[in-house]
Formats: sequence, C-alpha cells, structure tokens
Amino acid sequence: MRTRKTLITLVAGAAVLPLALAGCGGGGSASSGDPDTLTILDYYNNEPDKTLVQDLLDQCAADIDVTIERESVPGKDLIQKVLQRSSSKTLPDVLMLDNPDVQEIAATGGLAPLSDFDVDTSGFAQGILDAATYDGEVYGLAPVVNTLGLFYNVDLFEQAGLQPPTTWDELKETAAVLTSGDQYGIAFSAIATYEGSWQFLPFMWTNGGDETDLQTPENAEALQLWVDLVGSGSASESVINWSQGDVKDQFVAGKAAMMVNGPWNIPALNETDVNWASVQVPVNKVGQTPVAPLGGEVWTVPQTGDKAKQAKAAEFVECMSGDDIELQAAESRFTVPTRTDLIPEYVEKVPSMEAFAEQVVNARSRTGELGEDWPEQATVIYNAIQLALTGKATPDEAFEQAAKG
Amino acid sequence: MTTTATAPAVSAQRTPTARPTSRFRREGVVKAMFLAPAALYILLFFGYPVVKNLVMSFQEYTTKTFFTGEAPWVGWENYATVVNSGLFWPAMLNTALFTVGSIAGQFVIGLALAVFFRRRFPLSGFLRAMLLLPWLLPLIVSSATWRSILDQDSGILNEFLASVGLGAVPWLNSPDVALIAVILVNIWIGIPFNVTILYGGLQDIPEELYEAAALDGATGWKSFWHITLPNLRPVINVVLVLGVVYTLKVIDIILGLTNGGPANATQTIAIRSYQSSFVDFEFGVGAAFSNILILISLVFAIFYLRGNRKQVDE
Amino acid sequence: MTTMAIVTDGAAKRRATRRSGRDILFTALGVAFLAIMLFPVYWMFNASLQPSGNTLTASLLPLNPSFAGYEKAFADQGPNLVTSLVISVGTVVFSLAIAAPAAYALAQFRYRWINVALLAVLIAQMIPGVVIANALYAAYNDLGMLNSIPGLILADATHAIPFSIMILRAFMMSVPPSIIEAARVDGAGHVRAFWSIVLPVAKNSLITAGLFAFLFSWSDFLFALTLTTTDDITPVTLGIYQYLGTQVANWSAVMATAVLSSIPAIVLLVIAQRYIAAGATGGAVK
Repeated sequence: MRTRKTLITLVAGAAVLPLALAGCGGGGSASSGDPDTLTILDYYNNEPDKTLVQDLLDQCAADIDVTIERESVPGKDLIQKVLQRSSSKTLPDVLMLDNPDVQEIAATGGLAPLSDFDVDTSGFAQGILDAATYDGEVYGLAPVVNTLGLFYNVDLFEQAGLQPPTTWDELKETAAVLTSGDQYGIAFSAIATYEGSWQFLPFMWTNGGDETDLQTPENAEALQLWVDLVGSGSASESVINWSQGDVKDQFVAGKAAMMVNGPWNIPALNETDVNWASVQVPVNKVGQTPVAPLGGEVWTVPQTGDKAKQAKAAEFVECMSGDDIELQAAESRFTVPTRTDLIPEYVEKVPSMEAFAEQVVNARSRTGELGEDWPEQATVIYNAIQLALTGKATPDEAFEQAAKG
Repeated sequence: MTTTATAPAVSAQRTPTARPTSRFRREGVVKAMFLAPAALYILLFFGYPVVKNLVMSFQEYTTKTFFTGEAPWVGWENYATVVNSGLFWPAMLNTALFTVGSIAGQFVIGLALAVFFRRRFPLSGFLRAMLLLPWLLPLIVSSATWRSILDQDSGILNEFLASVGLGAVPWLNSPDVALIAVILVNIWIGIPFNVTILYGGLQDIPEELYEAAALDGATGWKSFWHITLPNLRPVINVVLVLGVVYTLKVIDIILGLTNGGPANATQTIAIRSYQSSFVDFEFGVGAAFSNILILISLVFAIFYLRGNRKQVDE
Repeated sequence: MTTMAIVTDGAAKRRATRRSGRDILFTALGVAFLAIMLFPVYWMFNASLQPSGNTLTASLLPLNPSFAGYEKAFADQGPNLVTSLVISVGTVVFSLAIAAPAAYALAQFRYRWINVALLAVLIAQMIPGVVIANALYAAYNDLGMLNSIPGLILADATHAIPFSIMILRAFMMSVPPSIIEAARVDGAGHVRAFWSIVLPVAKNSLITAGLFAFLFSWSDFLFALTLTTTDDITPVTLGIYQYLGTQVANWSAVMATAVLSSIPAIVLLVIAQRYIAAGATGGAVK
C-alpha cells in the first residue's frame, strides 16, 4: 500500500507543474519590435555548420551594428515554417532558402527584390544568380555554393592499381574491379526524393539531357548507366533508399570504394581515417563537359512590411556575400565562393576543393530553365529512377511511365 | 484517485422544495455535465479541423495562398486530380493490404501474449511492463533502427538468415517485399498496444467464472472459447476498430522506412495525402486525399456501431 | 518484482504453490518472447555505445563502449526530457479529467443519441494528425498559444481523449448498473456515484488509459514540430529529429538520446505495473 500512496503523490505533484508553467507560453510573433534587431531563419541546424554560420552572422551583425535573433530548423521543414509564418504575418527579417525554392517563394510575392535596396549583384557565378532570379528580378544572394563530385577511397585504388575514372565505361570497369565481399564499387543516392533527382542530374546534364523534355535517348542513357551499376552488383540495390547521408556512411564504413556526393561531407570525412580524394563526375563520351547541379543556400529579404528593417536586412544580406565572409565561409564549410574572381585564391588555400571549384564554373541551377515548375519534373525524375532500378520499367520507358504518376 | 475521497461540492443534492419536474430536469443537466467537457473539446479540436479540411479540398490552396490569403474555389477539381492520378488505385490497394496485414498480426500475437501473461508467474508483471518499450521509442528512432536491421547488405536480420542457410532478402529494396517489411515493423509497433488493452480486459473477467467452468471440466482451450472470448468481446471490438482506424492513417513509420518507395510500392492514401500537402505543396489535393481517408474510416465506424447497437439497446 | 504477494485470491495462491516448476518454464518463455520483441531496442542501445558514431560497422555487442554519445545527449537534451515529461503528465491529467466522466455517461446513461456521440468519438480518431495540426496552427497563432506548454498539452490530448473515452467506456460497460443503482438509492447523486463507486471499480482501466495517454504524448512528434516556431519549448522527439540532419548525423548521440528518452517512461511503467496488479477488480464487485 505504501507504493500506492507514493504514486499518487507523485502524480499529484507532477500535475501541478503544467499549471505552474502555464504562464510561460510565448506568442508566435517573430519580428521583434526593436528596430535594431533582425530575426533570421535558416536550416543550418547541424554541427559544424550551425556554429560556423553563427560566426559569420555575428560578424555581419557587428559590421552593420544590429543584434540578431536566429532560428535554425531542420531542412525538411523550412518551407513549411516559411508558409506558416507568412500566413501568420511573422516572417523573419532575413530568410535563408535552398536555391531551388527561391523562385517558388518569390512567385508568391513573399520576397522583396534586391533592386529595391540598390544591392549590387555583379560578379557572381551566373548559375546561382539564375536560381535566385524570378521575372527578371534578383531576390537573394548566395555567399557560397556546392555541387556534386566523385569521391574515391585512395587506399583501395592504390591497392588495385587504378586511376580515378573519367568516363562512364571506366566508371563501370573500376566499380566492378573494386566490388568484393561486402564492399561495393560505388554508392550514390537514388532515393525517391529531390535528393535522388539532384544526384542524377550530373549524369543527365553531362550527357546532354535536359529537364524540359525528359523522354529523350540522352536521359535514358544516363539512367541505363545507373541500372547497369546496380544490375551488375557494382552498386547496392539499397541505393533506392539511401539519402546522401547514408551514402557517406557507406563510404566511411568501407562498404563503397567510390561515392557521388558533395563537399559538405568533407568535415565529417576528415574526422575519419578514410584516405579520400575527389574528382569531377565522369562523362559519357570523351569531349563532353561535366555539368553538375548547383547546390547552396540563398539569403533573401522577406516582405515584412517594415521598410526600414527590410533595408537593414538587405544590408545584412549584402554583407553575407562580401569578399571576406565568402572566403571564410568557403574555407570553413568546404564550399565554393560565388564571386568568381575569388576562386583561384580559394583553390590555392584549399587544394582538396579543386575538383568542386572546377565543377562550379559550368554548374547549372535546377530552376534555371523551368523556374517554379522544376519540382514537378524532379518528381518525375526520381520516380523514373525508382522504376528503372527496381526493374519495373526499362530506362527507355521509365520517364514516360513516371510522368503518368 | 483515492477511494476515500469525499464527494465534491457539485453533488446534485435534492433541495426539499424542489418539484418533481425540476428534479427531473436537474438530473438531465447533471447528466449533460458529464459529457459537456468532452463534447466541447471534440468540437474544437476535431470538428473545426475537419470543417477546415473539407473547405480546403474544394479550393486551389497552394504556397501562394499563404502569402496572399486567396484560395479560389475549384469545385471537385482536386478530387478529380486525386482519382485520376496513376497512383490512386495502387495506393488504395496498399492501404487495404497494409491495414489488414497489420491488424491481423498485431491482434493475434497481442491476444496470445495477453493470455500468456494472465497466468501469473515470477517476473510476469515486470516482463509485461517491458513489453511496452517498443511504444516508447520515438517513431523516428524506431524507423532508423529498423532500417539498419533490415538493410539488405549489412543488416543484422539478413546476417542471421544467412547464418541459418537462407539467402539475403531485399527487405526495403524490392517493390515486392517492401510492403511486407513495413507491415512487419508496424505489427511490432502495435503489439504492445494490443497486449495492454486485451490484458486489461482479461483482468476484468472475474476469476469465479473460470473456477465455475473448471468444476464443469472446461479448462484450457474450452475455457478460452466459452469464457474468455465472449467476455472479452467489447474490448476486442474496441481494439480492432481502433486498430483499423489508427493503421489507416499511419504515415511516420512508412515515411521513415521507405518514404513510399521503392517505385511507389508502399504508397498509401495517408502517404499520398502527406506528400501532396508537404512535398508538392498542393494543400487542396492533400486535403482531398485525407477526406477520402476519413470517408473510408467512416464506413468502418458505421459497421462497428451497427454491431454494437445490439449491446447498447440491451 | 513478483506480483504473487499482492494477490488476494486464495485459490490463486493455492495454485501458485503447486506450480513452481511450471512457473520457471513460463518465466523462461516470457523472457524469450520479450527478447525477440525488444531486440530492436537492444540494437538501439548497442548503437548508442558504438564509438564510431556509425551504425554500419556496429558489432553485435558494445565491446568497446564509448559514452561520448551520452555526454552529448545529456548536454543537449536534458532540458527537453523535462519538457516532455511535463507535457506528458499534463496530458494524462487533462485527458482523464475530460474522458472519464464522458465514458461513464456513454456507458451507463441512456441517451437517445448515444450512437451519434459514439460516432463522433470514433470519427475523432480517424482524422489524420496532419489535418489537426494544420488547423491548430492557424488557431493557436491567433490565440498566441504557439510555443506554449498548455498549447501542446491540449494538442497532445487529441491523441488521448477519444481513445480514452473508447477504452474507459468498454470497461465501464462491465460495471453492473445494480451497484450504481444501489448507491443512488442510498441518496447519492450521479456525481457521487461516479466518484466513489465507479472510478475505484474502473481503476485498472484508468491506469491503462493514463499510461497510453502518457505514451501518446511522450512520443508525439507531429504537434511538437508544427506547433512550435522557436526553440523555447522543445519536446525530446523534436530534439532527436533536429539531431538527424540531412547531411551529417551523429548516430551515437541520436541513439543515446533515444535511450535516455525511454528511461523516464520505463520507470513509470515499472511503478504503475505494481499498482495495476494491486487493484484486482474482482474484489470490488462483491
């Protein structure tokens, strides 16, 4: 009976807590009334990026003499939060968006064009400006960008006496040689999300394929490459469920000799004892130019209705793309600066980024051609990949079948 | 929760001057007071969202709506989009298979374990408490853990199968197996729920019934058929209906394990609803999908109430 | 931990002494069932102790345990565990307070529109959480209830209230009306009969419903995600989710948090088990 009594007291005691705390709930208001405080929303919620970006934000805050209130949410939920906040009129003063989303949000009228605040947008890589442009107006600046390349395990290549592949045929041969036991030759992400489409683009674009018309021989050829890699056993059947984080885990665990991935993995790779290097994504035929998609985040100024604050926010966005900040961001986060004249200096400082810096020069933005219609085609692409890799359709039929989804 | 508590001041005491009619009326008021808080809560927290969702399904409700506040009426267009999409019927079939498979597995195993634990033996209480653990794991962690267990190449389950001489199963990689894998994981998650509720029901069957039956020579299976099952029926009904209703709307576990893949093999109506709203940002279409889901559940509910009416009228 | 000591039933006692051999067999069987069911939980625990932070190279046993994950989890998630606990306990109290009277009314009173009421409770269960979350966001936003503990308690109760009404009603149907009638003849009103007769009899089911209310709330993720817009209030599920990034995941810390998040609930389960075992309803119906 003692136990009964104690339980009751426990429960009763705990029951009072919520009531005592009931007064602590805050409202949902984001923008604070203070004219010198900027609210910031981004999705760098993971270390080391979280701290590294905080450091950059603090520098710009000191530079233009404002205080900042920053919130970081998981990447998947950023758009949902943006929508919620726009409907409740609590948009942040400075908003970070993934570059393929900028046009869709700009189209809703929720962002201010940077020309309103006389922000200079010259000197940036064209691809990333395209991504941030809607109806001829630039809506945001990206300090740094990333792209995709081919990482390889140097030790495994040396043991087998291999060179990193430059063509698809070499890629298939190399992957086959390096496949043994529970080690696959190559890993990539063919997951049924935008991540899968993004990983497929370097192969599709390099081969001359295009998102405006998916049912072309070029696109089918690129898909055939993936089907061959999985079908021959050089890549795991699990690629259809792997996110890029999973791909990195496979590579680190020694279960993949090569991987298609981006430079944001470099800090994590450097913490392991894997001896890695990277090259550009291989091309189908000699003479093709490797074209990879541009990744990276754009800083924008939402329409909050407070003109004075928006001007401050635009100043802040401009600061985030200043020379020093760009270089610092690029070095610390293993990304490529968007001011093209900084690239040579940067590659000198961080030689391991050379392959990615080269990729960026020719890289394309996902929304450059289709704008806000890109997500629809991206969905068709990842569905086609899934159909082909699971044997539900041949690469020739897959895009047509996926378009019916 | 103590039994010695004094009656609260609200007790409906009869005042000496009260006329019979007002007493009758007051009784009605007291009866209504029992239901009022729950009714109010259900109206606010369920009624309002349902109405809002209904309205939304007849509007073109997209990202723009959040900024401009405008959502033009489009009549049945969203529903036409839903029914004409290539994934609609496969998703319906998957929803049916997923629900039936999950419920059958959860209920049979759950009942077996509940009966097993009814026999008191050393540690039985402790073991039963521990059985609830799968419920405590945040689903996001469960699905991550299961993904690593089910991994085709290095997952522990396939390693175990290999050690007993069976081949590797492409649990999450084959469109033919993925739905089965997802059902198995969902069964695992649902067992604790079934055991707990059914065990509670078993506890409430008076011991005397079994003792009387034992005198008549009914033990084991016989007593299970003639005493346990009939006495457990109201609880079984609740468990099955709740099971169906909960399983129909499962999203997190499927999202975590397969995200509706591979090649859309694990797309259900609930997943379509979620993805339409939060991946494509077509909130009107998402609302139409979830209304179809609610409608399907409704059919079940009406069947259940039909079956229950007899009991209520008795 | 045996429940034998509290069993008041003489017959059961007699049988128990006769069956000590079978007891051991049953315990062994029970342990075996549990081992199968809990293997994934063990796997999670195992992963939380892996030094590399990588689930792919996990060995079967954590032979070189590393507690780095736990250090990080404690530092990051300690306050979130408290937040979750407060919200969950609040949900239990609120849900039972609303659901128990309603369940009693639906089980024992004769309403003409009882089927309508039951249908409403059932329909409530069918509504996908996403639908509720979307609507609540808009409402909370106007009422200033986002990022508040009461707001999350009220939202989490949507998991628990209809469910508790169904469960409690199923149990309260089995309370013989004669007991209640007898009490009312003695001059007690409905409220009193409910409070001092029905609730004690239905104690088991209250604990069952309360446990589930706690679990529902503890594992809620959807409302935690949608009804908070700042870091002020972060239930532990949201904390775990924020660990799982798209780009870099620290698995051992994630799994360590998962293990920690299970501990308060395990403790509660063990305490409540003894309590359930103590209240055999058979004794009350005499």
